[in-house]
Amino acid sequence: MSAPLSPVVHLIDDDDAVRASLAMLIRTVGLRVESWSDPREFMSRFDRDGIGAIVLDVRMPGISGLSVLENLIGQGVDQPVIMLTGHGTIEMCRRAFKSGAAEFFEKPVDDQQLLDALQKAVSRHVRTRERTRADRDARERYAQLSEREREVVSLIVAGLTNKEIGRALGLSPRTVETHRANVFTKLGAETLAQLIRRYASLVEETP
Amino acid sequence: MRRNAVWLIAWLAVSGVGGIWIARSELARLQDLFETESRIAHRLLSQRVSQHDAVLAMLALFQPSDDASPSLRRLPAVYPQIIDVQRRARNDRWPDQTLQWAETVSRERRHAVIARFDAESARYTLLRAADPESYAIQIDMQAMVPWNEWPMARDASGVNVTLELEGRHLVLQAGRLGDGGWRYVFRKRLAAESQPFDMVAMRHVTWGELPWMAISLWLAVAALVLLAVRALRRQRVARQRAEELLRLGQVGRLNALGEMAAGMAHELNQPLTAVLASTQAARRLLVEEPPDIATAREAIEQAAEQARRASDVVGSLRRAAERPDLAARAQAVTLQQAVQNALYLLEPECRRVNVSPSVDSPNRPVKVLAEPVALEQIIHNLINNALQALEQVPEKERSLTLSMTEAADAVMLTVRDSGPGIPPDALPRVFEPFFSLRRGGLGLGLSLCESLATAMGGTLSAANQPARGAMFTLKLPRAAPA
Repeated sequence: MSAPLSPVVHLIDDDDAVRASLAMLIRTVGLRVESWSDPREFMSRFDRDGIGAIVLDVRMPGISGLSVLENLIGQGVDQPVIMLTGHGTIEMCRRAFKSGAAEFFEKPVDDQQLLDALQKAVSRHVRTRERTRADRDARERYAQLSEREREVVSLIVAGLTNKEIGRALGLSPRTVETHRANVFTKLGAETLAQLIRRYASLVEETP
Repeated sequence: MRRNAVWLIAWLAVSGVGGIWIARSELARLQDLFETESRIAHRLLSQRVSQHDAVLAMLALFQPSDDASPSLRRLPAVYPQIIDVQRRARNDRWPDQTLQWAETVSRERRHAVIARFDAESARYTLLRAADPESYAIQIDMQAMVPWNEWPMARDASGVNVTLELEGRHLVLQAGRLGDGGWRYVFRKRLAAESQPFDMVAMRHVTWGELPWMAISLWLAVAALVLLAVRALRRQRVARQRAEELLRLGQVGRLNALGEMAAGMAHELNQPLTAVLASTQAARRLLVEEPPDIATAREAIEQAAEQARRASDVVGSLRRAAERPDLAARAQAVTLQQAVQNALYLLEPECRRVNVSPSVDSPNRPVKVLAEPVALEQIIHNLINNALQALEQVPEKERSLTLSMTEAADAVMLTVRDSGPGIPPDALPRVFEPFFSLRRGGLGLGLSLCESLATAMGGTLSAANQPARGAMFTLKLPRAAPA
């Protein structure tokens, strides 16, 4: 996973002039812009791991922007997609949102609206990525636990004391204490509250 | 066929009802006339027989005993039907047994009686018993009819009139009797007790007497009216169909207009989007601390350029909308010269694409009837399009051929390229405004060429060559040789 320096906005429009001026506008708020004239080329070459957002024109020769959107979402691309169209119909708008578009604007677009939407989309994407990373982290750590340790974690999450856990699992309180210490180390939790917050959902997932 | 059968049945029904009504009213009129005539005849005959009673009453009263008496001699003169007067002298007997017997009956009944009736000779004898002398008058029945007052023409009338007495008939007027058709009968006894004749009138109306003229006229009128109605209906249906077609045509035009408007909206929206985005970027760059003047200038230049692009779109649209009267300004133009002019203008383009166009033309000048500028514009556009198409294939495969062919009254200029050709589904649309196969193409070039060619009385057609590449054929009227 490449760690991006700053978010990149991918701008896909077949019209050179529109692309150039929108890129210039987006750069004024400090976002990097990568322009693409051919949606197919964009689909095959853009950096899917990078942080950022996608601005997509609906009307393009060869392939419709809506099809591009559907393909992106279908391939699990998580960058928020902002759709632009020259002439938007309600049906087109409905289809775009249903397919997972983050925003839908008519051209010519108001700069403030577009830039606000882009910044919101980028920060949301950053949060999504962080959450995903934390999630993946937790899963990796949880996977390191032994069978016995997972039982102990589930009982801790359920709110049992060491003594109660020992009784439930037929272990001495001392052994439970050792497992508990191992669990906290392996999961990288410092407090009981942290442990419960991060792992309660994982415990519930694996019965 | 079926529709005609319906009309035929309608005609038969209308004709039948109308014809029967006409026939019936004519029959009613004839019957009415017959009855009137019969009543008049009956009245006239009744008056005459009453006169006979009066004559006999007068004789009985005055008793003219001398055969030579003037009153007796004058009688046949006054009453032409009385052909003879007989007298039974006082205390005498009638020489004839019949008359004698009749006197007895007359005396009994106290009025005159018919002593003798001979239908063959149309005579009868009326006798009245009186005292001391009795009188009898012999009556010629044919003379009895007052023909001068008679309501019918004796020889021409179709009415048969007879007098009947005790089963014996006397025909007064023969009329015409036959079979079939209609028969009217009038029977009434004459209004004189002494002469109880029945007057029988009969009228036979034959089929031939029906008002065939009026009936045929009616049939003709009904046929004409129905034909007129049918024609009107057909006309209305035809008009509805025409209106439908017109409406469809208008819808088609509206669709084309809608598509054109949508295309135009897109073509204008793109530069406007760019203009807006550039100026907004410039404003943001200028309010920064410190302002990024260089980038802002770039943005402004971009905006200006896009504004010009928008203006070009409007200009092309206006030119496309203009329909100059090119046919009126057409003149004899040498096609080779026009092709050379266009190639001269496009020489840099040809060099860039690395193509040397080959021109295939007859040795003598080919003259077409065209507006020179429009013609060059079309050729220029066609060559330019071909060059752009050739850019899409490798340099070695590029070729461009212009060929001229002459027909009886037209000249064809064909531009062939070895480019990728036109996709078959796009072929029917290449002359539509705002339809373009090129990215960034406005889609007005070919559309304009086509309208120019049409305005000059020619055509422009597009096709793909069998092997590869597109082929555009401009056909123009040939100029009469000078």
